[in-house]
Amino acid sequence: MDPAKTSLGKMLLEEITPVVMVLRTPLVEESCLKNSLSFIEMLSPFCDFNNIDVPVRTSSDQPYRLQKFKLRLFYESDIKQPDIVVAKERLKQVITEAGEKDRSDLSTDPLDISNILASSKSEISPSWFEIFNKELVRTVSFSEHEAFDHPVACVSVVSSKDEQPINKFVDLFNTNKLPSLLNDGAMDPKILKHYVLVHDNKDGSSEKATKILTEMKNTFGFNGCHLLCINSSQDEQIEHQDNPWAPYKFDSSPSQDLGHYLNIDDFNEIKDLIQELSSKHIIPYMEQRVRVLNQQISATRKGFRNQIKNLWWRKGKEDTPDSSNGPMYTYSSVESQIRVLGDYAFMLGDYELALSNYRLISTDYKIDKAWKRYAGVQKLGSSGRQYATRCGLWWIEMLKMKDQFKEAATVYFRICSEELLHSAVMLEQASYCYLLSQPPMLHKYGFHLVLSGDRYKKCDQIKHAIRTYRNAVSVYKGTPWSYIKDHVHFHIGQCYGFLGMYDVAFTHMLEVLACSHQSKATQELFLREFLQIVQKAGKTFEVLTLQLPVINTSSLKVDFEDHRTYALPGSTSVKESVWRSLEEDMIPSLPTARTNWLELQSKLLPKHKESNICVAGEAIKIAIEFKNPLEIPISISSVSLICELSATSDETNSDASCSTAGIWNNEEHENLSVIVTTANLILLANCREIISDTSSFSLSEVNISLGGGEANLVQLTVTPKVEGILKIVGVRWKLSGSVVGFYSFGSNYVKKKIAKGRRKAKQSPSNYLEFIVIQSLPKLEGFIHALPEKAYAGHLQHLVLELRNRSEVSVKNLKMKTSHPRFLNIGKQEDLDLEFPACLEKKTNVSPPANPKIASHGVFLFPEDLSVQGENPLLWPLWFRAAVPGNISLQVVIYYEMGDLSSAMRYRILRMHYNLQVLPSLDVSFKISPYPSRLQEFLVHMDVVNKTNSESIQVNQLSTIGSHWEISLLQPIDTIFPSQSLIAGRAFSCFFVLKVGTRICIFRVVGNQLSTEESTSSLFPHIGSNVSLVPDGSKGAPFDTSKSPLAGFHDYERLQHGILIRLEAENAVDFILISRPLKSNAQPGVADAHHVFSHHACHCRQEYTKLLIIISIYSTASTSPITWVVDGPRTRHHDFSSSFCEINFRMTIYNSSNALASIVLKTLDSTSISDQLSDEASGNQVGWHDVSLAKDSKIESEALRNHVRKSLLPESVSPFIWSGSSSTGVQIKPLSTTEIPLQICVFSPGTYDLSNYVLNWNLQPVKDHENVGERTQSSGTSLGYPYYLTVLPSD
Amino acid sequence: MATTACFIIVSRNDIPIYEAEVGSATKREDAAQMHQFILHAALDIVQDLAWTTSAMYLKAIDRFNDLVVSVYVTAGHILCVSDFNCVSDKKNTEKMENDIYVIFFAFSVGEVHELYIKILLNPLYLPGSRIASSHFDTKVRALARKYL
Repeated sequence: MDPAKTSLGKMLLEEITPVVMVLRTPLVEESCLKNSLSFIEMLSPFCDFNNIDVPVRTSSDQPYRLQKFKLRLFYESDIKQPDIVVAKERLKQVITEAGEKDRSDLSTDPLDISNILASSKSEISPSWFEIFNKELVRTVSFSEHEAFDHPVACVSVVSSKDEQPINKFVDLFNTNKLPSLLNDGAMDPKILKHYVLVHDNKDGSSEKATKILTEMKNTFGFNGCHLLCINSSQDEQIEHQDNPWAPYKFDSSPSQDLGHYLNIDDFNEIKDLIQELSSKHIIPYMEQRVRVLNQQISATRKGFRNQIKNLWWRKGKEDTPDSSNGPMYTYSSVESQIRVLGDYAFMLGDYELALSNYRLISTDYKIDKAWKRYAGVQKLGSSGRQYATRCGLWWIEMLKMKDQFKEAATVYFRICSEELLHSAVMLEQASYCYLLSQPPMLHKYGFHLVLSGDRYKKCDQIKHAIRTYRNAVSVYKGTPWSYIKDHVHFHIGQCYGFLGMYDVAFTHMLEVLACSHQSKATQELFLREFLQIVQKAGKTFEVLTLQLPVINTSSLKVDFEDHRTYALPGSTSVKESVWRSLEEDMIPSLPTARTNWLELQSKLLPKHKESNICVAGEAIKIAIEFKNPLEIPISISSVSLICELSATSDETNSDASCSTAGIWNNEEHENLSVIVTTANLILLANCREIISDTSSFSLSEVNISLGGGEANLVQLTVTPKVEGILKIVGVRWKLSGSVVGFYSFGSNYVKKKIAKGRRKAKQSPSNYLEFIVIQSLPKLEGFIHALPEKAYAGHLQHLVLELRNRSEVSVKNLKMKTSHPRFLNIGKQEDLDLEFPACLEKKTNVSPPANPKIASHGVFLFPEDLSVQGENPLLWPLWFRAAVPGNISLQVVIYYEMGDLSSAMRYRILRMHYNLQVLPSLDVSFKISPYPSRLQEFLVHMDVVNKTNSESIQVNQLSTIGSHWEISLLQPIDTIFPSQSLIAGRAFSCFFVLKVGTRICIFRVVGNQLSTEESTSSLFPHIGSNVSLVPDGSKGAPFDTSKSPLAGFHDYERLQHGILIRLEAENAVDFILISRPLKSNAQPGVADAHHVFSHHACHCRQEYTKLLIIISIYSTASTSPITWVVDGPRTRHHDFSSSFCEINFRMTIYNSSNALASIVLKTLDSTSISDQLSDEASGNQVGWHDVSLAKDSKIESEALRNHVRKSLLPESVSPFIWSGSSSTGVQIKPLSTTEIPLQICVFSPGTYDLSNYVLNWNLQPVKDHENVGERTQSSGTSLGYPYYLTVLPSD
Repeated sequence: MATTACFIIVSRNDIPIYEAEVGSATKREDAAQMHQFILHAALDIVQDLAWTTSAMYLKAIDRFNDLVVSVYVTAGHILCVSDFNCVSDKKNTEKMENDIYVIFFAFSVGEVHELYIKILLNPLYLPGSRIASSHFDTKVRALARKYL
């Protein structure tokens, strides 16, 4: 391989060449400077020989011809190691210059990594590296231990103008001017000397010069003297076409001036001089030296090798702690001689000899490694590192030559010094090595680029930093390694910022904004830098991919109103299906409507059946969540929607053209989506246009500030003003007042769910955000005044519904329905001004309650003549009662039709939605048991528990519903309930007597007609059905439970319980408990009820309106329709000495059912009763039966059985017996009584319980009565009541 | 012992799916990015080495200053990369490094790999996605405390 063809060879040939020291007088320099050249510069072009063709003999006497040869000329003052500081400056300058030149392509986008890989080697690494490396090597030239840079020859130059030129020559060799290498003795002072006399032809003829030359030849010997005539061109200035000096002139003066006094003669003369110097003097001299040294070394070679080695190492080690000068090898030392021999041989191209000599120094290492090792041994402070650097560079070149780029890169990395700039360059070169290695090591490439860029940045070499970082960006593009990405983009952004290229800086800074993984301080830093750059740029950026804040696309919610309108924002959270089930009874069904409005609508909106419809002038609300991913607060302003409103195409288009229009629309959609996905600037431009076009719709703007990690749901609206097709494209916002971000909803809309998609999924996704705007329509706004959000169960309130229509067009045919009629009842119009709760009180003049007009399915029809229009609101009363505890979602739907039939929609629906929280208040339970020994009377045991947290409740009134019940207190209320109010958590119980109203009985007896009884019963005021539970409650009028709100709610309660109203006549009884919460701080029970009444009525209406109505529905508990009573004496005196005592009783049995009852009375004398009973009881439960009722009866029977056992078991024989037949059967007609006589025989005095009998009853349904309630049992067994009889001896 | 260490699980295509910085030293501000850079750069070498050897545990494949990178390659070519800093005390370095490798071996092979397999068994975990399980995280950190 020709060494000159590789970069290593070239470098070595250039760098490792003999050095010639030049000594000259000032006058010489003066003459040369006329050509703007120094002496050395003048000679330099001629020092490089490509074909010198000098015969040389190797040390082993093999002749060869040296072709390439080069001399390096240096002034004596330059032959010293450059000062480190100066060298650094020089290096820095080189780097800076390179950076300046590099400016051109800074702003371009970084190349794709595959492109970089595809490009050739020379393109990859910047060319200035070679210059830098050369400069770097130069900093370590003229060291004392290497013979390359030791001057081989010395040329002393004197001008012919000098006085006493011979003496001058001598003076030049004055030692104090010579370089330290010679003086220190590191070099052999006896070097080849050469004497040159320079004659300037301008100063006259050369005769004087020739004379001096002769003199010189006499003095210094014939061979070593030369005469050089320059500046031969007398008058005219010579223009050199291809100026040979130009490449050697470092400071760039105009190149045509160079050498303009030198004509072709001078040219040749210089050439000859150098040629002769090289071939006749230097090369032979070196050859001779090599021979001499070789002989010397050869003489001591045997067994010398190890010795040298030892000596070498030992010296190195023991000298390390020595003075800073370290070991000094004089020219005469063997080591130095070996070294010189090697170097000279190398320079003469005798590589074998050179190598053998280097091997001698360190056999185990290759040539470059040997140098490095040597340098390592010679570690002399910082300079040692520089040698290492140079050696490293050579080594690297060698490795590169062998394509071992990976190893080269590691060497680069190892020769990094602490000095940042230097190591930056080295690291950058290392990175290119990684890139060039096979396979390319991209990770390492990127890493070293970043390392290098970081150092460049620290040294203010911004352009270099940008270059390296830009390359790194191409490596790390789209990397999921978050910290890496942030670092690269942040630093390159900063660098661009330094250079004032804010646009590019901005794009890079954008990448680091969403840095939620970083620490808070870093986030702050990033955001601050970002804003600084934006601020410095001084303009508003518009960015399609602004990552701050994060937009949660799944949170996108669209609220719009077509024929469905909403009273409150929360109304849309209710499922569409809930609304629809409510509305289905109100909306005109399709067949009836086809004739008019649907046709009309289909004419108006033929082609967009799938699109959403909205009304001009009514806002479309979009809710979307903005989330701040950072820990620091950010402020966002001017959040608004991006919309597009295009006017409708001609409405009277034929079907064909309509369909094409539809297709065109689709295409437009596709186009749009393409635009969006590529996210280029076209959309941006579009957006701007759209925003400017605000005449056809208005947008809302929102400003928010998001704290760290906060998410905020932003409500945005767009209100179209004219008809057409409205498209919501996206959202825009401004970050920190300076950066505008855009987000397009269309881009990845497919995943999104729509809040209220009413058409099922067949619609293409983008259509969700496309609306047909139709002309403005009247719209009802509804509001329920004072509807509480939180109420205690039973809370009753009078509410007012306000409906308002802002448009001039009236609406009519209003219908209304509520989802929970138990909670919300629609009142009558005249209820509107009622004073509550006074209206609940009983009035003397009772008007029959007229039912409000409830159409089928609970739809309330407003009066037909009613129309709402203009400023006058429609007020309508409502009754509210919190029926059951819990969270209730209450919906009210109001249907209305447009007064103007020509509008695109015929009807609209107002939807109102309220959430209620109902707290438990009073827990009331009733237990009803037959009143012993009374027919048709019951004991009612009422337990009331106050379940509230803090409220005290006053229980006011208990009413029964149902015409034929009378209720009264068993004991006066004062005795059982003295405090009158129930504190939270307390319970109380009291007993009532419930009996069938006499009036009704009479009525029955007289009329004996069920139908008349039922229909007329409600006409009678039932005085006996209310019980006041406050002591002096009689002063206030009791509440009327049969009037509209209470009765209405009661009906719904019954509906809820699934009880038909018709069954009222049977055993069921309904209770209404009216109570009132007291002020918690009031003294309970002190103020009398009347005072509270009036007080509330006058001043504190709010307080007063709280009324708790508990409606409970209970059956009269007796499972059997049969009731009976045993009538007879309670005490009897009898003389048992004469006979046993016979006592007669009468049992009256009443059949309360509507069926014929056959009854068997069995009297029992033994304990077998229990077994029999249990059998029957269990047998009774087979088959279909009502569980709850059976359970009740069982408990009851259980209790009785125990009772029976207790009384009977102690005695084996009953002390009395029933006389007469043990089984008596009777038939009782419906609702009638019969009597059975009974008799017992008592044998001894005592008290007896006559409960040991059983009634077996069996109902036979009456044929003409169609209803036999499933709830009543058709047969059963009843145990006897305890009946105590005391028989005393008659004495 | 190692004062700072970073442990990253890298799925195919060089996507980090789990990162944990462990170690007793107080955290430097740029430690996270430094670790990421070093480990990311080491992937080059891992990719070369992983196909040339059958060993799963490759110790000290790369180093940057005093941080030494070791890797454990699972059969599915998921890499558990970790770097430790070795205290640059000349006498003990060799021994200490060795200790740390042994520890890392136990750390990643014995237990983290097992944890990772448990994660993989989760039918809701999509292989190659980020491991967000806090349980996994606490376990790994507990292991790190135990060994480092």
